[in-house]
Amino acid sequence: MIQLKDLTFSYLKSDGSKVSETPQINNVNLTINSGEFVLVCGPTGSGKSTFLKTLNGLAPSFTGGVITGELKINGVELLGLEPHEFASVVGYVNQQPENAFVGDTVIDEIVYCAEQLGLPIAQIEKSVQKISELLEISDLLERPLATLSGGQQQRVAIASALVAGQKVLLLDEPTSALDLVGAAEVLRVLRRLCSEEGVTVLLAEHRISRVIAEVDSVLVVHGDGSVTKGPTATQFNDPRFVPPIIELGLKLGWKPLPITTTDAAKKWNETRPEFQAKVLSNATSEVLAVSNLEVSFGSVQALQQTSFSLAGNQITALMGENGSGKTSLCWAIQGSGTRTKGTVTTYKGDTKDLNAADRLEVLTMVPQRAADLLFLATLSAELEESDKYAEVSPGSTAKLFQSLAGRIDTSIHPRDLSAGQQLSLVLAIQLVKQAKIVILDEPTRGLDYSAKYALAKQLNSIRSQDRAVLIATHDIEFVAMIADRVLVLEKGQLVSDSSPLEVLGAGKPFASQLAEISQEVGLISIEQVKL
Amino acid sequence: MSATTRAVHLVSAYKTNPISWWLAGLSLAIVASLTSNIYVLLAICVGTLSIIRLCRDDSPWAQSIGFYIKLAAIVITLRVAFRIIFNLGSSTKDAFLLLPSIDLDFGFGNALKLFGPISATAFNFALVDGFRLAAIILAVGMANSLANPRKLLKSTPGALYEIATALSIAINLAPQLIASLNRVRRARSLRGQSKGMKAITGIVIPVLEDTIDQSMGLAASMSARGFGRKGNRSKFQVIGARLLAFIAICFMVSGAALLLFSPEQQVLELTFLVLGLALAVISIKLSSTRGTITRYRKEPWRLGDVIILAASLVLMVLAFGGAFAR
Repeated sequence: MIQLKDLTFSYLKSDGSKVSETPQINNVNLTINSGEFVLVCGPTGSGKSTFLKTLNGLAPSFTGGVITGELKINGVELLGLEPHEFASVVGYVNQQPENAFVGDTVIDEIVYCAEQLGLPIAQIEKSVQKISELLEISDLLERPLATLSGGQQQRVAIASALVAGQKVLLLDEPTSALDLVGAAEVLRVLRRLCSEEGVTVLLAEHRISRVIAEVDSVLVVHGDGSVTKGPTATQFNDPRFVPPIIELGLKLGWKPLPITTTDAAKKWNETRPEFQAKVLSNATSEVLAVSNLEVSFGSVQALQQTSFSLAGNQITALMGENGSGKTSLCWAIQGSGTRTKGTVTTYKGDTKDLNAADRLEVLTMVPQRAADLLFLATLSAELEESDKYAEVSPGSTAKLFQSLAGRIDTSIHPRDLSAGQQLSLVLAIQLVKQAKIVILDEPTRGLDYSAKYALAKQLNSIRSQDRAVLIATHDIEFVAMIADRVLVLEKGQLVSDSSPLEVLGAGKPFASQLAEISQEVGLISIEQVKL
Repeated sequence: MSATTRAVHLVSAYKTNPISWWLAGLSLAIVASLTSNIYVLLAICVGTLSIIRLCRDDSPWAQSIGFYIKLAAIVITLRVAFRIIFNLGSSTKDAFLLLPSIDLDFGFGNALKLFGPISATAFNFALVDGFRLAAIILAVGMANSLANPRKLLKSTPGALYEIATALSIAINLAPQLIASLNRVRRARSLRGQSKGMKAITGIVIPVLEDTIDQSMGLAASMSARGFGRKGNRSKFQVIGARLLAFIAICFMVSGAALLLFSPEQQVLELTFLVLGLALAVISIKLSSTRGTITRYRKEPWRLGDVIILAASLVLMVLAFGGAFAR
């Protein structure tokens, strides 16, 4: 189906000369079969997105750069063509479907590609019917796109990419912004497209632990230019992105490595490994008190009356589905977000009444769109500015950044970093500040596993300084690793406030993968398992 | 439902073709540029504002109107202030504002005279000029906040690839810029305030980058779904259409410029405009060879569109009639 021969892609140097940099994709030779479901993964910033884009002409058309080699799809050589020449063969879905929508309603959006390709009306009608049934959106066709949930929007984007009968589908982190339910919906339809319709799917993802059981093979973009592909169990020898289920197998020396939860559960039952109790840090003095907080936007109530407090020496996770009010709560606590009612008291007073400088002294926050905080022309300038502002010894931000993202040339423009690297940079900048309260909104999107461990380490040291941390996230495995307490929001209402052992335990809606595998009470994260 | 609410419902942003709002906005802008009557200009300003208030929905692009109102206010203030400060050759005959004058002598040419007595005529002229610009800004703002930019994007002829893409990205830009501005300003306060130039770059750079990124993302998504395909047209047809489109735009721009700067050469202006329009139509026809693009559901012209377009047409006829009668 897809054949790559000596495929090489490199960006041009940013100084305006026509010289190319070291290739991002170097001499890649591989074949992907019809109907194969391929997971594309690799460390943060290794070039997964770029690799996908080379397969439909978006690189170099929209990214700049030079591409050489051979790219055959269905036996036809397509290298060097514009993206619109790929459109009838390859469908493409990116991370944020709402930014890519051209239509107003679901049906508008789905037919767009078929219209552009000039398919006859009768054929469009037929394929709309088929594709909307496959993606389980038949009853949504007349709905405005803005009224759909994240998972529904992503399925509309997939339908739109396949409406002209394309047999190859490229997806760039389609579930990274979705909650558990939405992500599972998308994954299920992808599996179905491969097995029933023979669509070849290439799925780039970071949260891979729940994906690897579904895919046929794994393709790794290593970051040094090499790209390898093989059966799932053979592909995880790079310690930077070993998913938890593989890590468990490696830790316990299981052979062959179980990939699915079922296989791992079987293995667990045979060997019954020992584990220690989860160590949860005890709350010290109260650092922040949220009382009767309410947030409404017009007629929409984002957060209903909520009260809780955060204590030093504790990491609190804030969980809940997309649209449950997590982000609104974070901004309302920070003080500059909309607040309809209520107070948020800190040692300096209510965050809403503080001036910008005092607010920063009390509280540091990483918002969902981290890149908004970056504004200087080079990475080194950003790092220096951060050291100066936080009044820490020169090089502190750089050190933390390096532990999150690895060694990176500091003369690079921050916009040329990958999404995960940008997030790492903003995390480093915000976490070197000494504020008593730390709020992180989705801080693990696009981070590989080694970056998550580095982040966890930093948060642990913040906790040990008697500071309070609040993390809004969908990342269950990350919560299992570090949280001492979990708040759950549901449709703007705080429905539970308890220990992670209860929320993430076996059989619970947010059960961690290890809890599902072991079914042991009190076991949620891999650190607990004894060798 | 009262008659007013029913009328509003008919022409509300969600129900109408985005092209009709743009045509209405442009005709109001043309009317504003043709008239020197302060009452007409005031009527356009008040009219556009109330139309926006009545017809807008709560979509993101509808939020951009605050920006246009501020811009219009700034333009009026600046125009009048400049007239008062750089008071060149104002006759003192009907002076109504007697300010002391300051002479700045740089040692060459005539001394630069600032302030001084200002005649009512001159003041009036500046005020009308300011309101004319404000009316044009508000008319464009009305189109931009009522027309769904995404719908507009969908109805652009894919045949004129480069022009259509550039135009649709440009139209998308303003609402997006304003949305990013609000978001980035809030995010920036999390980083800590820098002083002077850095504070400005700290807002401007992320906003511009974000807006460009988003527009590029949209363009990439459209391209990946076949937008801009040449289909079965020959190279000759493609180049011919582009050349024709370029000439058409030249004619229309010079026609419009003539109309604004020397309204006495009516025949020439009209010829230019009509010629430009005709060439544009031929160019679009030439490049939209049948079979390249299907329209699954045509964006229908509803009653609301007819009302909007008829009203704009009447305004245009009146304005042109008035301009030529003078």
